[in-house]
Amino acid sequence: MRSRLFIFAMLAPSFTLLALFYAYPIFKNLSMSFTDLSLLGMSRGGNWIGLDNYREILRSGDFGHILFNTLIWLTATSVAIRLLLGLVIAVLLNSTALRRLRMQTIARLGLLIPWATPPIVAVVIWRWLLDPQGAVNKALVGLGILDQPVAFFANVRTVWPAIVTIMVWNTVPLIALSLLSSLQSVPEDLYEAAELEGANQWQVFRYITLPFLMPAILVLGLMSVFWSFNNFVYVWLATGAGPGTLTNVLATEVYIKAFVDFRLGYSSAIGMVMALVMAIFGAVYLRLVARRQLEESL
Amino acid sequence: MIGGIPLRQSARDPGPLAIAAAAGLAIITLFVLVYPAVYVLIGSFKPGGGLLSQAGTFTFENYLKIFRSGFSRFVLNSLVICAAATLVSTLLSIMAAYAFSRFNFPLKRTLFTGVLFGQVFPWIVLINPLFVAFAAMHLINSYVGMILTYTAFTIPFSVYMLVGYLVTVPKSLDEAAVLDGASRWQVIWLIICPVMLPGFVATATYAFLLCWTEYLFALAFLTQTELKTLPLGLYQYFGDDNVDWGAVMAASVVTTLPVFLLFLPIQGGISPGHTVGAVK
Repeated sequence: MRSRLFIFAMLAPSFTLLALFYAYPIFKNLSMSFTDLSLLGMSRGGNWIGLDNYREILRSGDFGHILFNTLIWLTATSVAIRLLLGLVIAVLLNSTALRRLRMQTIARLGLLIPWATPPIVAVVIWRWLLDPQGAVNKALVGLGILDQPVAFFANVRTVWPAIVTIMVWNTVPLIALSLLSSLQSVPEDLYEAAELEGANQWQVFRYITLPFLMPAILVLGLMSVFWSFNNFVYVWLATGAGPGTLTNVLATEVYIKAFVDFRLGYSSAIGMVMALVMAIFGAVYLRLVARRQLEESL
Repeated sequence: MIGGIPLRQSARDPGPLAIAAAAGLAIITLFVLVYPAVYVLIGSFKPGGGLLSQAGTFTFENYLKIFRSGFSRFVLNSLVICAAATLVSTLLSIMAAYAFSRFNFPLKRTLFTGVLFGQVFPWIVLINPLFVAFAAMHLINSYVGMILTYTAFTIPFSVYMLVGYLVTVPKSLDEAAVLDGASRWQVIWLIICPVMLPGFVATATYAFLLCWTEYLFALAFLTQTELKTLPLGLYQYFGDDNVDWGAVMAASVVTTLPVFLLFLPIQGGISPGHTVGAVK
C-alpha cells in the first residue's frame, strides 16, 4: 500500500504537467476549432460556428497547395534525401578504404558540427551562403556555371531545394552516425561467407548490408517524418512562407492564421487537420517503434 | 596471414584507386558539412560578416555591437529560463523514471506509451490553446510561463532517456538499501543518483539544449524585447530589407558555442539511437 502511494507521488508531478500541456490543449484546440475566436477578442470568447472553419479549409484554394508543400517538399523530399545521403555517408565511413586511412575519427567530428548547430543558426548560415552576394553565388559565377547571382530564397524554382538543403545539412549527421553504428554491428562472418560464395560488392551491399540496416532505416525515417511534417522553424525563418505564400506549410499556416491574421478559431481547425495526419503516422509509430521501445525499456 | 604472406587476397581489400576515390568523396562530404559553420565563425570577425567587403581585416566590432545593443539581456533570459526548466524537468523526470524502472503498477504501459508519444507530438498544434490559457493566467511575457512550458516539453524525452539508464542499475542495489532501512526516496538520491550521475547529467544537458535552441514557443509567448530568449534575439538582426550580417554572424556564434561545448563531451558516451529524440 505504501509503495502504491510512493509510485503515485513519483509519477504525479510529471504527468500533471503532461496533462496540462498536452492533453488539455489538444481538447481545448478541438473546441476552439468550432468557433470564430479572434486573438484580439480572447476575453470575449468566440461564437460557436460549428464546422464552418473546416468547410472554409476545404473550400480555400490555398489548402491543397499547403498540403502538397508539407507532404511532398517538407516531408517526403527532405526525408528521402537525408536517408539516402545518410546511408551513403555511413557506408563511406565504414568502408575498408577509409578505415585504412584512419579517417573515421575526423569524419565523426565533422559530422558533429552540423548536428550540434541549432536549427535557427543553420538557417542563418545558409541564408548567408545562398545570399545573392554570398559564397555559393560567388563560386558558381566564378566557375561560369551561373551568368549572374541567383537569389535562391526568392526564386520560385530554387526556394524549396534551398530549404531542403538546410534541413538535410542540419539533420543528415544524426542519420549517418546512427546508420554507422548499425553498420558496425553487422557480423563479420556474414561478409566472409558472402565472399566465399563469390558475391561482388554490390551483391554484398544489396543482400547483406541493406537488409541488416532496414530496421534502423525504418525507425530513423519515421522519426524524420515526424520532425519534418511538424517543422515550423526552417520554413518560417528561411522564407517566412514566401515568396508570397509559395512555401507555406501546415505549421506556418497555423502560426500565420493565429498570430498574423488573428484568427485563432480557424488556425485551430488547421491544427486539428495536422493532428489527424499525425494520428495516422502515430499509428504506424506505435506499431513499428513505440512497441519495441516499450519492450526495451520496461 | 602466415609468415607475413597474405593467405588469401581478399575481394574486399581496396586497391589504391578505391582508396583515393573514397578519400576524395569523404573530403568533399566533410567540406560541405564543416565549411558552412567555419565560415560563419570567420565571418563573425569580419566587417559586415565578410559579405560585402573583400578586405580580410580582423575585428571584434560585430561582437561589441551586439553586446552594446543589449544582446547580453537575451543571453541572460535564455540562461535563466533554460537552467530553471532543465533543473525542474530533470528532477521530476528522475522521479517518474525511477517508478517506471522499478515497479509494476496499473496503466504502466499506457502511461509510458504516452511518454513515447510526447516525444513526437506536434508542438505547433498546442500553441493556440496554450496561448489562450496563458493570456488568461498572465503567463505571456513571463519567466514562469516559459519555464513551465519548457519543463513540460522536455519531460517526455528525459523520462524515456532516464528509464533507459535506470533499467541498467540492478534492483538488488535498491533492495539492499531498503533492507538497511533506507526509504525509497533516499534510495533515489543517495544510492542511485551517485551511480547514475553521468546519465543524469547527459539527460539534463540534452534537455538544456532543447530549451536553448527552442524558437516556436518563445516566438508565441514572448513579445517584450527585454524578455526574449537568444534565438529570438538573434533573429531581430534580420531587418525587412537589409540584414546586418556582421551582427547575425556574431550572435550565431554566441548562440552555438555553448551547444558545442556541452554537446561534444556527452555525445561520445551515448549511442546515437538513444538520442534520436533530442533533435526536434
